[in-house]
This record gives sequence, C-alpha cells and structure tokens, in this order.
Amino acid sequence: MLNLELIKLAILLLAGLNLAMIVLIAGVKGARELRRRRLKNLYGRIEPDLDGFLISGRLSGEAQEKLRRLPPWDREILAASIIRRVSLLRGAERERLVRLARELGLVDRYLRRLKSRRRWKRAQAAENLGYLGGPDVVEPLTALLSDRDETVRAVAARALARLGTPGAARALVRSLDDPSEVTSLRVAENLEKLGPLATEPLLAVLRTRKRRARVLAARILGNLKATEARGILRRIALRDWDVDLRAQAVLALGKIGNPDDLPEIIEAARDEAWPVRAQAANALGMIGEVSTIPVLQKLMTDPEWWVRVNAGRALSNLGETGEEALAEILEGADPFARHRAAAVLETRGAIRRLVERLSESERARRTVRAMIRAGATGHLRHLADTLPEGRERSLLRGLLEAGRGA
Amino acid sequence: MGPEGLLLAVNYAILGYFLLINGVYMALYALSFAEISDYARRETFSGLDDLFTSNYAPPVSVIVPAYNEEATIADSVRSFLSLRYPLHEVVVVNDGSKDGTLEVLKEEFDLWESDQPVRLQLGTEKIRKVYASATERLIVLDKENGGKADALNAGICAARYPLVCCLDADIILEEDALIRAARPMIESGEVAAVGGIVRVANGCEVDSGRVVEVGTPRAALPNLQIVEYLRAFLAGRTGWSKLNCLLIISGAFGMFRRQDLIAAGGYARDTVGEDMEVVTRMHRSLRERNRDYRILFIPDPVAWTEVPDTLRVLRRQRDRWHRGLIDTLLRHRKMLLNPRYGTTGLLGMPYFFLFEFLGPVVELTGYVAFAAGLALGILSLEFALAFLLAAVGLGALLSISAVFLEELRLRRYPRWRDLAKLTLYGVLENFGYRQLNTLWRVLAIVSFLRKNTEWGAMERRGFDAAERKSPARKP
Repeated sequence: MLNLELIKLAILLLAGLNLAMIVLIAGVKGARELRRRRLKNLYGRIEPDLDGFLISGRLSGEAQEKLRRLPPWDREILAASIIRRVSLLRGAERERLVRLARELGLVDRYLRRLKSRRRWKRAQAAENLGYLGGPDVVEPLTALLSDRDETVRAVAARALARLGTPGAARALVRSLDDPSEVTSLRVAENLEKLGPLATEPLLAVLRTRKRRARVLAARILGNLKATEARGILRRIALRDWDVDLRAQAVLALGKIGNPDDLPEIIEAARDEAWPVRAQAANALGMIGEVSTIPVLQKLMTDPEWWVRVNAGRALSNLGETGEEALAEILEGADPFARHRAAAVLETRGAIRRLVERLSESERARRTVRAMIRAGATGHLRHLADTLPEGRERSLLRGLLEAGRGA
Repeated sequence: MGPEGLLLAVNYAILGYFLLINGVYMALYALSFAEISDYARRETFSGLDDLFTSNYAPPVSVIVPAYNEEATIADSVRSFLSLRYPLHEVVVVNDGSKDGTLEVLKEEFDLWESDQPVRLQLGTEKIRKVYASATERLIVLDKENGGKADALNAGICAARYPLVCCLDADIILEEDALIRAARPMIESGEVAAVGGIVRVANGCEVDSGRVVEVGTPRAALPNLQIVEYLRAFLAGRTGWSKLNCLLIISGAFGMFRRQDLIAAGGYARDTVGEDMEVVTRMHRSLRERNRDYRILFIPDPVAWTEVPDTLRVLRRQRDRWHRGLIDTLLRHRKMLLNPRYGTTGLLGMPYFFLFEFLGPVVELTGYVAFAAGLALGILSLEFALAFLLAAVGLGALLSISAVFLEELRLRRYPRWRDLAKLTLYGVLENFGYRQLNTLWRVLAIVSFLRKNTEWGAMERRGFDAAERKSPARKP
C-alpha cells in the first residue's frame, strides 16, 4: 500500500489547502467590505465637488487640485462619478462635464489604456471614452474594432455608437462582417441607435459580397425605415441568390411601408423559399393595403405553417375588410387555413364583435355558421355562456345547436 | 492470489480510482474557475440593459407543466408573466390535474376556451382544450395526464416562439433570468440550449414570488444540499459546458432552441430522468446532423427552488435521479467513446459512466474492502485513519473551493454567517451525508435492475406528490 509518510504529507497539504481556502473566502469578503466602505467615503468627497461644478459651472482651485491629485486607482472612481452624471445629462451641462473630464486628464488616460495588454483594461477604457471622448477618439476606437478579443470589439462598437459621428457610423458598418456573431450583433444594434447617419454606409454594404453583413444591413435599414434603400432592397428581394437576404429585404420593404413596393413584395410572396414568403406576408400586413387581400388569402393555404401564421396575422391587421377575408377562408376547403383563420379572428376579438351583431348582420351569421362548420366552436361556446342574456345570445345558442344537429 | 492478495489488489484499484476521480474533479475545477472568472468580467461589459430593448432578441415561450398545483399556480404564472424580456408568452400545461389547477387558472386569468390550433410536432397525450386570455401572452393547455415530459412536449408544440424555456411550476425565477439565459442564444446561432443555475430557496425570504433576501436555513439537510448544488453547478457544469459536453440541464430551468428540441424528438416520456435524457439526445441528434453547436451552462440566470428537508424525500429524489442517469446512459451507450460524438462521446459519457453511474458502487466497495483490510490486519489502523483523513480533506477542499468560487465571483450570500455556515457544511458533508448518498445511489442501481420493466408505468402516474411538496431537482 501507499507509504504512510506520503499519506501524512498529503493530509498536511490538504489541511493547508483547506485552511488557505477558508482564509481566501474570508479575505475576499473582508477586502470587498473594506473597498465598499472606502468607495463610499471617496464618493462622499468627490461628489459634492462635481455637483458644485454642475451648479456653478466652475470648479474651485482647491477642488481642482484635489481631483487632479487623486491616486491612479481613485481616478477610476472619479471617472465613474462623472460618467454616471454624463449618462443622465444632455446639452450644455453634459458638455461641461465632458470638458472637465478632459481637463482632469481622464481622456488621455483612457486613450493610453486602449493599448493596454490586458483586455479588460482596454474594454473599460473604450467604454469610458464612449462617454467622455469626442470626434478625436473615433480613430483609436475604430482601431479597437479589430481587437483580438470579441468583448473589447463589442464594447468599442457601443462606444462608437455613443459618440455618434459620421466617422463612427462608417467604422461600425465596416465591422458588420466581424467573424464573431456577438460583435456583429452589437455593431448592428448600435448602428440602429445611430439612425440616419448609418444609412449611406449600410447601402454601400448591400452592394458588396459580404453575406452576413448584407443580411444585417438589410435588417437595420428596414428598422431605420430608410426610404433611400428601397431601390436596392427591391432588386435584392427578387433577384439575390441568398434566401436569408431576400427574406430580410422583403421584410425591410414592409417596414419602410411604401405602397409603391407592393408589386415586388407580391412577387416575393410567390418565392420558392418559404422564409421569403413568410416575410412577404409580414410585409403585406405592415403596408396594410386591402388590394393585397387575395394574395394573403392564397398565402393562408401555403404548405408552410409559418407562412399561414404570418398571413393570418397580416389579414387581421387590415381591419374589417381583413376580417371579412378571414371569414371567407372559414368557408373554404382548406382545413388548415380554416383553423388558422378561426384562431386569428379569435385573438383579435373579431368573433366577439361578430357575435354581438348576429341579429343585424347576415355576414356575421354566415361567418359564425362557417366557424361552426369548421369545428371552431370553443370560443363560440364560451361566448354563448358568458354574453349577457338577450337576442344575440339566443341566436348564438341556436346556431350552435343547429350546428351540433348537423 | 490468496484472499489477502485479492483484498490488497481491490484496495489498490480503489485507490487508483480515487486518485483518478479526484484528478478529474481538480481539472474540472480549474476549468470552472477560469470560465466563471472570465464570464464575470465579460458580464461587466455585457450591455444587458441594451438587450431588453434590442430588436435582435427573439421572443421566448415559457413552458410550465402543472399537476395538482392549485395552491401556487396563479402566483407562479403571474411571476412568469412579469419577467423582464422584450417579448415572451407563458404556456401552462395542465397535465390532467385532479385538483382545481385549471379552475384557478380560468378564474384568475379570465381564460376562455380557444380554437387556436396546436401544431402537434411531438407525440403527446390528448390535448382536451386550449384556453386563451385577453393578454395574448398566456395560453393554457388542458390535456390528459401523461407525466412531466409529456406535458412539456405539449407545451413545446403549442409554443409560438423560436426559443422555449422549460420550467417547473413552483420554481422562482429572478426577474432577468430569461434575458440572461437567452443571451448566449441571441449572440450565437450555434447555441442550441442553455442551462442556468438552480439555487436553494430554503432559508431565503420570498415575497410576491420573488426572492428578496438570500440566506441559509437552520436545518442541516438543506444546507448540505446548498453546498452540493454549488459544487455541482459552479464547479461541475461550468467545466463540462466549457468542454461542450454538458449532459444535463436541470429540468427546473432550461432554455432551448425550439427547432433543435423538436428535431431531437422532444422529451422522452418513458424515463424518470427526462431532463438529462433530452440534453444527451440533443447532443446525439446535433452531432449526427453534423451541426456546429454548443450546449451551455451559465452561472447567472438564477432559478430558486425548495429542496427536500427530510431524509425520506431526499432519498426518493436521489433514487429517481440515479435511475434517470442510468437509463439515459444505457439508452445512449452508442455514444460512449465514439469519436463521432466529439467531446460528449469521448469525455462526457465516459465520465458519467465511470464516475457518476459506477462511482457509488466503487465507493461502497472501497468502504467494505477497507473495513475487511482492517479486520484481517492487512491495513494498519493508523494507515486507515490517515487515508480516511486524506479523503475527507480532499472532499472538504472540493466543497470549500465551490463556496470560494461563489463568493469570489457570484456573491449571492451577503452575510458572513451564511458563508461560514456553508464552509462548515462543506466539511461536515464528508461525515455521513456523502456516505448516505452513496448508499442511496447503490440502492437505486438495484432498484433500476429490478424494476426495469415497471419503469414506464410508474412514470405515467404523473408527478410525484411527495416530491412536489419539497421539489426534487437535479443539481
């Protein structure tokens, strides 16, 4: 068996390690408590000066000297205090604080840190420069978009979006094709925040061959409702080889919402790829033109579930005419379409409205009969039980009874 | 070789096993320390608030299977509806409850019978009715009893959104748990499933379906389980996740890409370990379809659960877990040491076979061989005590390290007293609790071998009432 001495040594080692671990737990917690207290104290010293600066627009010589002479580790707290105020303020007060941060050397400090070997320092510096920097930090932050660490790249993207200059927009668009999904997602989110500034560079991306960047660009342009993009989006929707891109382009046209694009969207509704048809249905719903009802009715019989779901929702967005179209589907031959139509009518409260008009509207009676024939009686029965006593309720009960007999 | 030689050989073999298993644990701990540290640093820059308003966060369907939950279901559903997420719905599946679960739901949420079709992409017991509500964010399915897995499958079919979050009805989710769990899936199309951490709610103050103050309970048994959960989640699952061979996402709280879950066939209805089985099957299915994928554990989306506080219920829980584990491993034995299944086949499956499945048998054999060695005078008392002390020291080190990791990066226990208590229980669990668990797990193997044919019938009875009182979740 093992040498006893060896085991004793192992016991000693393990006892030491256990003890060390307990000391570490206590040390970590204790250090954190101490730091919390010190920070509270430090904030108590810094914040009155900053608040005074915001009120009076100037910092006394003594306060300036005090802030300047803060040791390096406390300057982080100063930066955090300023950033908290900068993120809440707008206009002249914000500008004044940003200028103060620069005068206190914080901007230079973070510009230097962008070159740190430690990724978290680079990330923190980029984050802070997004609040405290100006157009002059766009270039160094842009360089960080090629950082080897994806978190740093994502933070740099956010910082550039906060700066919100045309240069920042161009830099961000170049990073849409980042190999990391996290980074390209963050870039896309931040480009949306930039708004119209991003449109031109995004249009340029659509003309490239970068697949993922193009899909994201189409999506962002749609979210930005960029009318300038309509021409190229129309071409892409019909001719591009990439299914995802065609789908995003059609959806973007829907979001932009110009009825002149309907011919292309209607053509896309006949696309062989179901994701494109599904987005075409969504787009038609967004534009809300009643002349497209026959197209949507056809999409309600599509073999793909999601196309039917989107078409149903789109029809329900078209008000009473759309509801009538859904009622017509209830009388059709396709059982899947009938069920979907019944479900959509129910969720939009249309069934209740129809039932409340049973005595005065032949269309309402026809639709309710069609629902009963389609087997969609669950909600009708609920209404028959819960409507106030009266003519409509008796009529509904009669129709349900007749349907059961049939 | 005489009996003494045989005994000595057994002792050597067990010693080798002991060194191997602890070596693996150490490696997992090292991985987990690095991973959680990195995660916590990245978290500082995650921009979680931006995600709440992001156009890029896909909507989530929260699936809540419910069986005889009339006392708590309304509060649970309200709490799930109020989670912070850009767009989510709650799908409650009443799995043939015998109490007033459905009536409570109908009354509290003003439900009506709906004609919304359910796209049955997975096999389930008959869905009797679908109920809708005015919010459009709540759907209730009323179906015939088929067990938790069956209820989850029905919920997945009714879910309208691309991400599904499968929960236990009586779990408490932190407000931002959905967005935290969904984030890896938003950020990468490769992520097929994400498991969050399940923490012990015993001893915590709960108000309106939220944990408002974290603490430890007075009773010993739940405290021992807190340490066990920390070790299993923080040190174990984080390491396996890093290696992309995480074989289990707790049934209490897991997020899945709906299409991948359906492609894998949903939850198996004839096992008691449906949460482990489904994740293992997803690995298998994704590998067989040559998909680049990841199944992740992340330590900060938190679900709180009450753990058993009696030995009787705890034993039932551990028995069920171990039988579930054996069943899963045997079902998917094809993956064992099969390079086609990557790290899952080459690392995860062998670990679970060798250490999780057979570990209790080896450990119990070790105790017996050790006692026999002492009785026959092959081992000296001094040696035996020294060896036991070393084993306890190692066990305590693993548990205390998990408490350290918790305090270093996650910091959920604000009071000194609680940390001291957990550290103490990290040591104490090696005296009796660990051995009891070993015994229960060995008995579970016997029970698995003896009751193999009765397995399905037992599960179809529905959720176990005794365990629901003190829910039983796998750490």
